[in-house]
Amino acid sequence: MEVRVTAEAFDPQAEIAAFTKGRNDAGALVSFVGTCRATTGSAAVDELRIDHYPGFSEKEISRLAEETSCRFNCPDLLVVHRVGAIRPGEAIVLVAALSTHRSDAFEAVRILMDYLKTDAPLWKKETGPAGARWIEPRPEDYARRREAEKG
Amino acid sequence: MIRLVFLGKFGDVAPAGLAEITLPGDVHTLKDLKDWVARQEPVLGAAMDATRTKLIVNQCVAHDLSQALTDGDEVAFLPPMSGG
Repeated sequence: MEVRVTAEAFDPQAEIAAFTKGRNDAGALVSFVGTCRATTGSAAVDELRIDHYPGFSEKEISRLAEETSCRFNCPDLLVVHRVGAIRPGEAIVLVAALSTHRSDAFEAVRILMDYLKTDAPLWKKETGPAGARWIEPRPEDYARRREAEKG
Repeated sequence: MIRLVFLGKFGDVAPAGLAEITLPGDVHTLKDLKDWVARQEPVLGAAMDATRTKLIVNQCVAHDLSQALTDGDEVAFLPPMSGG
């Protein structure tokens, strides 16, 4: 399992290639990449800034990943999450799972993303021509989190 | 001295002077500290009251506001998180 919080732009394809190299024990790879949109609703986005709490953010994301892995027959997980200033089109988050069978990998990625939306100690601020605003989880994000908890 | 860390939108309204403070004589617990911060910086206090605020002491989640503080602690104030 690898969890990385980085202020540097990353290439999801290169990350996945490194994660899967030599892994002929796994029968399934599932990955999700979240990218910075150029618009939110009808408003343009110039920049997304993600604030984090060094040390604590990494520790909590690792804990969420470990919980998720334990729940789905221990798929190997990779999480790479950007912080700092992010431009539209750049990757924000990559979650990938390698497992013996596909269902564990699909579920692990989906559930871990639900956890990250509400429980990862990260704070997003969008800036556009209309000004800046902090983004908080939507009611549907909390609903998905509750569903994820129930399993 | 204790270190205070204000994340996300709290960081926008927290003055730099709050980053490191001498533990005030009447502040013994996390609740005392939260109340003291709100008295010192009413805008920050209002922002914390208006949302769910999580407190972290020395990088561990605090579950009880009666937790005692000691010199050298680091306390972080976290607004609702938005990763992913």
